[in-house]
Amino acid sequence: MVKVTNRQVVEELRKGDRNGAAHLVDLYQSRLISEAASVFHIPVLDSEEIVNDVLLAVIQGIESFQFSKSDGDFHFWVMTIFRNRVRDHMRHQTLSEGWMANFAESEKENAEEYTETELEVTRSILRQYGESLRIADQNEGGGGKSPGKLERIGEVLDSLETWERVLLRCRALDVPYEDIAKYTGKTAKQLKVYHARVKKKFVKLLAQYYPELAGI
Amino acid sequence: MKRDPVDILIQMAFLEGNVTTHGLYEETVLKKKVGDEASKEARRNLIARLEAVLNEKAQAQNVRDTIGSFLKNIRLERSLQPQEISAQVGIGGNIYRMLEEDRISPLKISAASWKNFRLFLGVPMEKLEDMIRRTLQLIVFQPSFKTTLARYKDKKGGGKKADALKRAARELYSKAKLPLPEKDERELSELLKEISA
Repeated sequence: MVKVTNRQVVEELRKGDRNGAAHLVDLYQSRLISEAASVFHIPVLDSEEIVNDVLLAVIQGIESFQFSKSDGDFHFWVMTIFRNRVRDHMRHQTLSEGWMANFAESEKENAEEYTETELEVTRSILRQYGESLRIADQNEGGGGKSPGKLERIGEVLDSLETWERVLLRCRALDVPYEDIAKYTGKTAKQLKVYHARVKKKFVKLLAQYYPELAGI
Repeated sequence: MKRDPVDILIQMAFLEGNVTTHGLYEETVLKKKVGDEASKEARRNLIARLEAVLNEKAQAQNVRDTIGSFLKNIRLERSLQPQEISAQVGIGGNIYRMLEEDRISPLKISAASWKNFRLFLGVPMEKLEDMIRRTLQLIVFQPSFKTTLARYKDKKGGGKKADALKRAARELYSKAKLPLPEKDERELSELLKEISA
């Protein structure tokens, strides 16, 4: 495959050059399908649809895109569109009944790692999130602003030590331990060992917001 | 791969914008080795869809400007207020609004105002001539298109048909030769002569 720069792809798409479409697909189709399927666990067929939508949106909005710092700006722009499409898919899934079943599946897989109270805390947050989505959906006909019930996750993460916070955020998105190590001052090996422990600490802190569940 | 409930929550918070990795995640995506997740057929189909969108956009760009579309675009581009343009051109606010919506015949605007229009907005005479002609054609022929479209409005699925017809009408305007009635053609020639004098 011939290496093309992002600037070249953007220029081709703006000019309506057919090569631009092929280059965009070569750069992003497989990459994003893999990302949606492996990181966000979206079924492959749905992942393909999402990525089709993302790349169509890129072409539709290419005139509004501007390079401000470097060639990499384009990648960040594409990733923002991707993230928004994945979010919409997840919101839709959360509103459907199938989502809680998926979540219950993940709970079974992790039954040994978390206590019932800890699992109930994560379940409660997800239920609240689903509820706020339903309310937003009824009030705005869907597609509204973020329901905001996940702000607590950000707050609790902020209360952790910096390296713990970086570790949890990045591992949830499948960033390799070796890359995280560069930003934390800890070795990849140490991070692997600490990961499960930090997750437990995070859930414990989260549980403080749900004292009513402590007696389970 | 096993899914962890904590990872799920953090992912949701990331997608909703409550959590960020400050670009580390996006950089990681770029560094990952890409496999053959998309089949050759899926690749071909997607390229065909994207090319179709590129073609549609190119066709839309080929549609020639009317006075209304030109004014709307230039006002947004240059962040101008309607009053600024109408004052410089020497027409009233109502007339300006109608011009921007292509609801008034360009023959009803004086040559002096068109000259001001040219100077203030920096439009070459050739382009102005083309826009005035296009707008006049729109004013003359639009009512017959509207009558046709109205027949579809109340029928089942009429919305879709009406949309398709609107697109067809737009394309037709851009490609068709629409001969103006003799009287309009005569008046238009006189106006254009006056403007370029």
